[in-house]
Amino acid sequence: MAIRATYPPSAMHEAAEVCLKCGVCCNVAHSCHVMYDKKFNPKYTFVYDCLSSDKGASNPNIWMCVSCHKCEETCPYEVSPVHFIEALKGVALGVGVVHPTIRAEVAQVVATGFAFPLSGATERQRQALNLKPLPTKPLGELGKIADKTGLAARLREGQP
Amino acid sequence: MKYTLFLGCFIPVRLPHIEAVARGVLPQLGIELADVDGFTCCPEPVGFLTDRMTGLAMAARNICLAEEAGLDIITLCNGCTYTLKQANETLKADAALRARVNDVLSETGHEFKGTVDVLHFAQVLSRRVGLDGIKAVVKKPLTGLRVACHPGCHILSPPAVLGFDDPLDPVVLDGMVSALGADPVDWDKKTGCCGWTLTNYGEREAANRLLGAKLDAMHAAGADCSTVICPQCFYQFDTGQMLAARELKLEYKVPTIYYLQLLALAMGRSLDESGIRQHRVKDPALEERLGRLVA
Repeated sequence: MAIRATYPPSAMHEAAEVCLKCGVCCNVAHSCHVMYDKKFNPKYTFVYDCLSSDKGASNPNIWMCVSCHKCEETCPYEVSPVHFIEALKGVALGVGVVHPTIRAEVAQVVATGFAFPLSGATERQRQALNLKPLPTKPLGELGKIADKTGLAARLREGQP
Repeated sequence: MKYTLFLGCFIPVRLPHIEAVARGVLPQLGIELADVDGFTCCPEPVGFLTDRMTGLAMAARNICLAEEAGLDIITLCNGCTYTLKQANETLKADAALRARVNDVLSETGHEFKGTVDVLHFAQVLSRRVGLDGIKAVVKKPLTGLRVACHPGCHILSPPAVLGFDDPLDPVVLDGMVSALGADPVDWDKKTGCCGWTLTNYGEREAANRLLGAKLDAMHAAGADCSTVICPQCFYQFDTGQMLAARELKLEYKVPTIYYLQLLALAMGRSLDESGIRQHRVKDPALEERLGRLVA
């Protein structure tokens, strides 16, 4: 199995045609966290809220998916809601409806190479443990990659 | 065995005591760790949540640094393993995609060649060192310690890529815990997500319900503690448990101990050296018991 660099609309709808809407993805014990949040489950978020809507990427429930792949493993027809939902997250960035925490993390990674902000407390802890300080200089190579793929422009355009 | 140590973000920034334990114990199992300048976030938030091509290129750039050093990568985090391993296997298998990614990387002076492997430390310990190799360094067996093993989602799935364990019935971490002389417990909800991502990008109430159900299952199985191999799972079971305890009305504690900390204790390190005293969920009775075991 390999991830797809892009998930074109034709492939998305192919998945919809295969899906029987049987609900096994939601009913297998220890499947995804569906039972803990009533607004999200692979079946409804994937099939009804997203595939049946031309505004699936705007559905805030897609951000509830943690990419655990349990739905994919339990589906008797090898449909992959997880890849579909991940593709919608990519679309969401382009249309400016991305989850604000994700937007901030992505921008932080591109700018600094770390997903979390570095703080004085971190450095003090590292010093106490005799660990080397973390690099604080911006890493130009990630910016070059983001420029070339268009992510940098999408981040700018998607700004609220 | 020599590897480039890929730390990612979470451990060096938020849990440096885990990094210190890893650097301390892994070489004693014959795992030499090389530091490579220039590693960045794997980048999970970019690759699997928003932009696949950028994510692939940034992951490939990290892998290129290991290729240039001529060494496989060892990670301490399920998320980093999930991101890097999927990128590595995908790009090795797909020449056209590799060419596109290398075109993006040409701006940085790196080229992905597909010459190294990405391994989680639990894969290195369970396969390359082996359970007998782990047993060989145990000086203070953790006899009688009942441990709920939580391998986490992103080291299990997709199994064809991660290749660590059966995602619906994982047992490898249990074997690694048994090798330390401790007793892995059979507990319900073992394969479920820890809820970290739900806390971050979903709703905290739902994440707390999930966490509560998992902690209840561990407690019902008689676990003295849980063990994890992923910093996000660790954070959720430690800081997350502390934050959720009031809302969940928890009447017990299930402290969590990163596997490398359990290993350090079994190798004879003190509680201070293992970093356990820095955890948020503290159980004096457990600490006293661990102190006696490693004395």
